[in-house]
Amino acid sequence: MTEPTPAPADLLARTGTLAILRPAQHVKGLVPTTPPPEGALDIFLYVDDAGTVMAFNGHVDLGTGIRTALAQIVAEELDVPLDRVVMVLGHTGGTPNQGATIASDSIQVSAIPLRRAAAQARHRLVALAAEALDVPADDLMVTDGVVHPRAGGNAGLSYAAILAGRQERLMLAETVAVKPVSDYRIVGQRMPRVDIPAKATGTFAYVHDVRVPGMLHGRVVRPPYAGVDAGDFIGHSLIGVDESSVAGLPGVVAVVTMGDFVGVVAEREEQAAEAARRLVVRWKPAPPLPDLKDLPNALRANPSRTRTLLDTGDVDAARAAAAYPMDRTYVWPYQMHASIGPSCAVADVTAQGVTVWSGTQNPFPLRADIALLLGLPEDVIEIIRFEAAGCYGRNCADDVAADAALLSRAVGRPVRVQLTREQEHAWEPKGAAQLMEVKGGLNADGTVAAYDFSTRYPSNAATTLALLLTGRVPADNPIFEMGDRTSIAPYAYDNMRVVVHDMAPLVRAAWLRGVSALPNSFAHESYVDELATAAGVDPVEFRLRHLHDPRAVDLVKEVAEKAGWEHRTGPRQEVVEGDIVRGQGFAYALYVHSKFPGYGAAWSAWVAEVEVNKATGDVNVTRVVVGQDSGLMINPAGIEHQIHGNVIQSTSRALKEEVSFSDTAVASREWGAYPILTFPEVPVIKVVLMPRPEEPPLGSGESASVPSAAAIANAIFDATGVRFREPPFTPDRVRAALTGETPPPEPKPHKKKRSWFAMAGAALAGALGMATIALPIRGAIAPIAPPDPSAFSAEMIARGKQLAALGDCAVCHTVPGGVANAGGRAMETPFGTVYATNLTPDSDTGIGRWSYAAFERAMREGISRDGRHLYPAFPYTAFTKASDTDLQALYAYLMSQPPASAPVPEAKMAFPFNIRPLMAAWNMLFLMTGQAVADPARSPQWNRGAYLVEGLGHCGACHTPRNGLGAEKTGAAYLAGGMVDGWEAPALTALSKAPIPWTEAELYSYLRTGFSPHHGTAAGPMAPVVQELAHLPDADIRAMAVYLASFSGPAPADPETKAATLQAQATAALRPLDTLGGKLYEGACAACHSESGPTLFGVRPALALNTNVHAARPDNLVRVILDGIPSPAARDLGDMPAFRDSLDDGQVAALVRYIRAKFAPDAPAWESVESTVARLRSAPGTH
Amino acid sequence: MPDPVTLTVNGTDHTFTLPRETPLIYILRNDLALNGPKFGCGLGECGACTVLLDGVAARSCVVTLGSAEGRAVTTLEGLGTPEAPHPVQVAFIAEQAAQCGYCLNGMIMATTSFLMRHPAPTEAEARDALRYNLCRCGTHVEILRAVMRAAQEMGGAPDQGAAETDLAP
Repeated sequence: MTEPTPAPADLLARTGTLAILRPAQHVKGLVPTTPPPEGALDIFLYVDDAGTVMAFNGHVDLGTGIRTALAQIVAEELDVPLDRVVMVLGHTGGTPNQGATIASDSIQVSAIPLRRAAAQARHRLVALAAEALDVPADDLMVTDGVVHPRAGGNAGLSYAAILAGRQERLMLAETVAVKPVSDYRIVGQRMPRVDIPAKATGTFAYVHDVRVPGMLHGRVVRPPYAGVDAGDFIGHSLIGVDESSVAGLPGVVAVVTMGDFVGVVAEREEQAAEAARRLVVRWKPAPPLPDLKDLPNALRANPSRTRTLLDTGDVDAARAAAAYPMDRTYVWPYQMHASIGPSCAVADVTAQGVTVWSGTQNPFPLRADIALLLGLPEDVIEIIRFEAAGCYGRNCADDVAADAALLSRAVGRPVRVQLTREQEHAWEPKGAAQLMEVKGGLNADGTVAAYDFSTRYPSNAATTLALLLTGRVPADNPIFEMGDRTSIAPYAYDNMRVVVHDMAPLVRAAWLRGVSALPNSFAHESYVDELATAAGVDPVEFRLRHLHDPRAVDLVKEVAEKAGWEHRTGPRQEVVEGDIVRGQGFAYALYVHSKFPGYGAAWSAWVAEVEVNKATGDVNVTRVVVGQDSGLMINPAGIEHQIHGNVIQSTSRALKEEVSFSDTAVASREWGAYPILTFPEVPVIKVVLMPRPEEPPLGSGESASVPSAAAIANAIFDATGVRFREPPFTPDRVRAALTGETPPPEPKPHKKKRSWFAMAGAALAGALGMATIALPIRGAIAPIAPPDPSAFSAEMIARGKQLAALGDCAVCHTVPGGVANAGGRAMETPFGTVYATNLTPDSDTGIGRWSYAAFERAMREGISRDGRHLYPAFPYTAFTKASDTDLQALYAYLMSQPPASAPVPEAKMAFPFNIRPLMAAWNMLFLMTGQAVADPARSPQWNRGAYLVEGLGHCGACHTPRNGLGAEKTGAAYLAGGMVDGWEAPALTALSKAPIPWTEAELYSYLRTGFSPHHGTAAGPMAPVVQELAHLPDADIRAMAVYLASFSGPAPADPETKAATLQAQATAALRPLDTLGGKLYEGACAACHSESGPTLFGVRPALALNTNVHAARPDNLVRVILDGIPSPAARDLGDMPAFRDSLDDGQVAALVRYIRAKFAPDAPAWESVESTVARLRSAPGTH
Repeated sequence: MPDPVTLTVNGTDHTFTLPRETPLIYILRNDLALNGPKFGCGLGECGACTVLLDGVAARSCVVTLGSAEGRAVTTLEGLGTPEAPHPVQVAFIAEQAAQCGYCLNGMIMATTSFLMRHPAPTEAEARDALRYNLCRCGTHVEILRAVMRAAQEMGGAPDQGAAETDLAP
């Protein structure tokens, strides 16, 4: 199923057709718009002689089902079957301009002309049939598109037949007789949505699925002021783009820069994504934001214009005279639309015109924006609207369309731009924070003295980003009067004043479901509850005393009854068991929206039931009974569905949601940092519909959200006796209020310490300096003609290949993506950078002219053929133990490879290590040449393992700590753990920090599969080691396991039980909503790591058992979070993504601290985690 | 030039000469024009991109071509068609378990994988199974009904009886 996009001109050119038209209207939006051309006509309805019925509406379906509901209206009035009606929605080239799809207006407002058009068409078709049949029109009726006499009989004409040869063109009439509700057969029925079968089978085309011939893929790179859209720096913060940083990447077509707009275009999507990640862009630092952790003061300090919307009675006098004054402050946090799919668009900018395929909520305003951006008239621009991920207000759909237009214009081809999750989270216009202050109180007789309400709402239209980034439009933050939605309390308070402080945004913000009405109602409905409690009156009864709208009264009574509302005059604090208490809360709202005074959508009322754990602060919304009066319900099933969605989303907002900010930008850039409600948290929802078929249909897209937060806060009050005036009601906040304890803040970053590497290097400079003068200089071994590979037996070469794998030759001697063993890979050591040599038999740059004697000397003594000393980053101290036959086989294999010409860069070593002859002294101290000798006291298998591990396997090169001169320590330090390339190679001995000591079985599993259930997954430099070990026979792997296990600590009697216990303890300790770390773990890690998570492809490493989580330093954990496991050791392990671009240093540190505390509870907390993250982020290493 | 990698997608073998670290989702969507898997986060957090890999749910935004080599990949399209939908798809359509529908692919694929392993789940188990599949529109109630309906119609779940469950309308 793809979007129908017929061209009206084509339709109108046909005969055998009927069309209902209306002069195109000039819709004025929030930005200036061009009036339509003189004489332009909009088409609303089209019927033809093939039976086609198309209906046109300028609004779009945001996943709310209006495509189905509008089709029901048309089918009803036209008297055709529902499945005959094709809805054409929201394309600038084909549908009427009916403004943006906002304020739940599609059914309530924009469907009105459509209903009239369908009725008018029916009247016309019946009139034509009357003529043809020579029967009075009044004697005819229509059934499924066939006009026939009411009296029955065979006579009848289908619409198709009536239209044969005709071109009926009618102008939409202002007054048309529409059907009486009593005749409805389709409207008012529960209808399945027309789009769901295609969506459930993958045949529905979203905007993400639009493919245009010749299309390229784009990604954008956004500035560091993420989510901020006002100030002089907007559009002027770019210092420079280093295009050479992506020059070598495959598929890159262009880097496009305009002001602060930066984008890349590539042939393939993953190439564009990689180029965007790698592109080096330098920005000026972003200026600081106001302190958004203190929203009340940030909002009070923001300059505002004051509008008094209502002032009845004498508020000041009544407030002053109140017997029980009650002044209250309510705070609403910044929240996200959080569309589940990041926005996407395709644009094709050509000399002939511009086509944009967009998921926009506002096709016509978007067209105006694109015109402004490109400097083109609106009439050469066509916006083709495709469905996208649900939006609920305003996400980045328009932004990405403009991005695509800029990139397409730059490259002269169609470009598809997909935003990243991080960009969507960071840059979407947020639902604004809001501050509601009430001054009022009760008189001595319990009546309400005064209600002096003020609200501060910093929102705007969120100008399409590219207009700001390119400097096309100044970032001057226009102030919109949108804080007034539902700002008038619904209660008949005698002395009431309502004041709105209109203000510019603090961060990029726009309307989010319920706009300012949800926060305003949170205040109204919390306060009325507080009044009821103070007056000692049941909250529902108190509301009814002040509520005089009969439909509201009916609704409130009905919902209270259906919910089993329990009468109370104060918080009941009913104990369920232990620390768990239960409560029930009420709230009501008529969602009044649009320009003040606005008008109402559907009425809504909630009874929320909660259970609160007073010890932990956990709030569980167990059940919501929600009633709604939507007037005539076009599709009751659709309304019920919308109510469910509103209840779940607004419960999520009330319990969990709050955007976090760094000092300069939005910090929540993925689902961990911005958790939303999950399946286990979804309450039981009971919907109470109020059928009013004779009343006009009312918008249902937002109303049921509006009472949510107050109902939940009121329920928490009933359960605990404590009033919460600032969502989200997270456990840490609730616990703090209930117990008086405040959670410790996340530690601040420490100052950087001087690297111990630097100190070690300085100390060593002198140590070796003097000792070397008398050392012998080794001679060159004469070059030979490269040996003929056919001189070696196939068996020998095959054996050599295995040994090369054991020795991991290719791991160090290959650059990523390069020719195997051709060298050039940089090896960072504490003493400088060395580059692995070319091990292919190339005569000039490789080892082609090396004799076996030269090779053997290198392997056993660390001397190059030409007599130069090699650095012990090349583990000849281990290789020296290899047998002659093994070295000969290895030589045979290396000499049989295809030669690759690849010069090796010079090592960059610090003094004194840059003096290669000094290595002679080093060798004298630390090199013990000679082949391994078997230990007769040990088994042959153990000895075989020792030979493999100590020799070519060179495990100790990484796993044994090195002394100050870079040599492996010996004795008890053997295999006691070391550092390599910024990764910790954990101890393999009894010094291992692993909670369950290594056993032969676990070692075997780890070396063979890359995974040990009791220790974790091979990652970093160990992943390629396991990949190489795959070439070795089982017997050798087993021997290595036997040997290594002999160093391990004593195994617990029942490791499986211990593992299960550790995991169960950790799982029980998890607190997913208490801290940033907990949220990040739950959102980013738990799907793949939680013990009870879903069965997913790959292994499920248990963090409670993971060696890295129990290590003395956090390096490996930090590294794997930052960089993931890009190349897993084995294909069954699954892949771990990198969070480098999704989490900032503070977030990674919080996550690491949480994982440490929860999964290694007996280990001490790590120090300076934040600086470790910063250090490792800037030194990604070579693995 | 990378070595060619072969995998089976919805029953047909395909060979790609692409880097092994290429995320599977781009290959399915862009090379094979399969629209079922949706890009949601690129981090394996939300589940919108879920496919089956040898019959196990896998998040195709993090699974690489290399990990998928030699395996059978099933996408939403391979599960069933509009004409012959899979029972899980039938249940989701019957329960109208979509609003915008962007998460729907992940919900259906995760449910399919889940029911293969737990043919008769309780509702609480179904909730846990979908805990890490995110939906923003709030279609959870309909989705859970669809899971339970699919289980029943596939012969797994016992009738829930008259007891008030979370899913009763």
